Amino acid sequence: MAAKPRRALFVFLLVLPLLVFVASLYVGTSSISPAVLAKTLLSPFVPSWKAEIPQAIFDIVFAIRLPRLLLALAVGAALAVSGASLQSLFKNPLVNEYILGISSGAAFGASLSFVVFGSRIPPQILAFAFAVLAVVLVLLISRRSDSPVVSVLLTGVIVSAFFSALLSLVEYFASPYSLQALFFWLMGNLWKAGWADLAVSLPVIGAGLAVLLLMRWRFNVLSLSDEEARSLGVRLRREKFIVLATATLITAAATSVAGIIGWIGLIVPHLVRMIGGVDNRRVLPLSAALGATVLLIADDIARSLAAFEVPVGIFTSLIGIPLFIILLRRAGKVWR
Amino acid sequence: MVHRPMRRAFLLLVAALLVPSFSAFAQTPTTLTDTLGRNIAIPAKVERVLSLQPEITRLVVALGAADRLVGIDFFLRNHDDLFKVVFPGQAKLPLVSMANYNVNLEVLAGLAPDVIFGAPEDRNVIEAIETKTRIPVVALSSMGRFARLLEELRLVGRILGREERARELASGFEARLSGIRSRLEGLPHSSRPKVFLSFWNVLTNTPVFYEPVNAAGGANAAEGLLSSYAGTLNAVVPLEKVLVWAPDIILLHGNYPPPRRELTVASVLADRRIASLEAVRRRRVYYTFGFWNWWDFAEVQVETAYLAKIFHPDRFADLDLTALGNSVFREVYGIENGYSTLCRILRCEEWVHGR
Repeated sequence: MAAKPRRALFVFLLVLPLLVFVASLYVGTSSISPAVLAKTLLSPFVPSWKAEIPQAIFDIVFAIRLPRLLLALAVGAALAVSGASLQSLFKNPLVNEYILGISSGAAFGASLSFVVFGSRIPPQILAFAFAVLAVVLVLLISRRSDSPVVSVLLTGVIVSAFFSALLSLVEYFASPYSLQALFFWLMGNLWKAGWADLAVSLPVIGAGLAVLLLMRWRFNVLSLSDEEARSLGVRLRREKFIVLATATLITAAATSVAGIIGWIGLIVPHLVRMIGGVDNRRVLPLSAALGATVLLIADDIARSLAAFEVPVGIFTSLIGIPLFIILLRRAGKVWR
Repeated sequence: MVHRPMRRAFLLLVAALLVPSFSAFAQTPTTLTDTLGRNIAIPAKVERVLSLQPEITRLVVALGAADRLVGIDFFLRNHDDLFKVVFPGQAKLPLVSMANYNVNLEVLAGLAPDVIFGAPEDRNVIEAIETKTRIPVVALSSMGRFARLLEELRLVGRILGREERARELASGFEARLSGIRSRLEGLPHSSRPKVFLSFWNVLTNTPVFYEPVNAAGGANAAEGLLSSYAGTLNAVVPLEKVLVWAPDIILLHGNYPPPRRELTVASVLADRRIASLEAVRRRRVYYTFGFWNWWDFAEVQVETAYLAKIFHPDRFADLDLTALGNSVFREVYGIENGYSTLCRILRCEEWVHGR
C-alpha cells in the first residue's frame, strides 16, 4: 500500500472509535430521534432545553448510554492494548490478555462475592484482587527459571487451571440462585456501567494505557532477542516488569467492571498487524482504537438486537472470530 | 337366628377380609404420565420416597408423608431456610445429591426408595437414574404455573396414597385465590399496576410470566417478551427497556437470605439510572418472595395475598398478612407461627414498613 493512503487508513482507524461512539449514542431499545438526542446532549449547557427533555430520555442518555459507551471504549482499548503488549513481550502470537491467569483469578474472586460474601464485598473488588493475585503468583513461581518466557507462560496456564478448579468448587456448592448472577457476570457485560464504575476504572485504565502507549517504541526493542535488546542498552528486567504489571493492571481493572470479555486481546492486535504491519509504534495505538471500536459495535448489537440483552462477550467472539478467519485467509499469516 | 357372639365374630371376619382388599384397591399398581410425557409404572405401595426436586419434597411434607422421605437434596439442606423450619427432621436424612442433580447413585440405590421424584429440566439425568437403579423416576414441576402446581400436588398425593389430603390442600389454595379474585372483582384493567420484577439478584433479569402478580391484580411489564410454552422463563432486558415500560412498582427477589442479597431496595432506590421511574420516585420498590427452586406451596399463597395488598391497598386494607400467613402455614405444614418465623429469617419487617 502506498504511504499516503496507508497513512489515511491509520488516521481513519484512530478516529473510528469516536465515529462509532457518536453513532452508538443513537442505538438502543428506546428510539430517540437525532434532534432530541442532540438537544439532550446539549441541554446541560442550555438550561431552557433541559426543561423540555423528558426525565426518562435524559436518564437514558446521561445515566445509561453515555457511561456504558465510555466503559466500552475503555475496556475495549485496555484489553486490546494489553493483548498486543503481552504478545510483543513474549514474542508469541498465541498470548492473550488473560494468559497470566487474570480471567480465572477474576472469575474466582467474583464467584466468592456472589456465592460466599453476598453484598458485603462487591464482585468488582474481589475480581480485581484475585486477578492481580493470580499474576503475582505466576511471577513469583516463574522468577528463577532459566527460560523465563516459557516458564511464565506455562505457569500462567497452571495458575489459570488452579483458579478454574477453585471456581468450579465454588460453583459446585453454590445455590442455583447465586449461580444466575455469577453466570451473567462471567459472560461479560456492560449493562451495570455507571458513573461510579467509571470514576474508579477510567483513571486506572487511562493511566495504564498512557504508560503502555508511551512505551510503544520500546516494544520493538523488547521484541528482539534478549541479547540484542541488552546490547541496545535496555534494562530488560525492569522494562518487562513495567509492561507486565501495567498490562495486568488494566486487564484486571477492565475485567472487574465488565466481566470476562474474550478474544479482543488476541484478535485485535493480529488484525492491526495484518492491516498496518508489525511496528509496535503503530500496533499499540491502533490496537487501542480497534479494540474500542470492536467492543462498541459488539455492545451495540448486544443491547439492541432483541428486546432482551445478550452478554456482550458472546458477540465479541461471534464478530471477532469470523473476521479473524477472513483476514487470516487473505493475509496468509498472522505474525511476522 | 345367629347368636350375638357368633354374629360379632362373623362381622369381624368380614371386616378382616375387607380391609386388606380395600387397601389393595386404594394402592393398585398404577401408570401415570409425568411432565416429560413419559409413562411411569408406580408400585402399589410407596413407603420410601426420594425427591430430588425441592418443590415436590415440600409437597411430600405438606401431604403428611415426611416420614417416608429417605434422603434430602443439597439445595434444601443448604439453601432453603424455610424448609428447615417446616421440616426440622430433614437434618437427620442423608444427603443424596449435590447441586445440579449430581446424584450419588450408590447412596441412592442403597436407600432403596420405591419411587424417586426428579426435575424435568434434564431428561438425561432422569433416564440415567432410572436405567441404573431400576427405580421409577417421576419428573414433575409446576414450571411456575398455579394450575400445574395443583396438578403436581394431586399426582404426588395419588402416588403416596394421600389423595384426600391433596384435595384438602388444593381446595384451601383455590379458596384463597378465589377470595383474592372476588375482592378484585370489577377492577378496571387500567387500575392494575404495571410491575417490573427484578429477580435472581440481577436488576434487569426478569421472569416473563409470574402468576402471583397477575392473580394479585397486577400486570407484569415483561409478560409476553418471550414465549414460554414450557413454563416461566426469564430474560435479561436492557435497562432502557425498563425506563420505557415505566413500571408503577418494582419487585425484588426477596427469598435470598439478607446477607446474600446483591440487589436491595436501598440499592435500587439509589440507582441514578432509574431515578426517573415512577416506582422509584414514589418509593414503590418492594421485596417479594419469588421462586426458590420453583415454589413453596404455603409461601406462594401468602405471597399472592401480600402482592394484592401492595397493589390494591384500598381493597385489602383489613387483610392481616401475619395472621393469614400463619394460618396458611398451619394448614399446609401443621406448624405454628411458620410465616412469622420465615419473616424473621428474611427480615420481612423491612419489606414494606421498615424503609
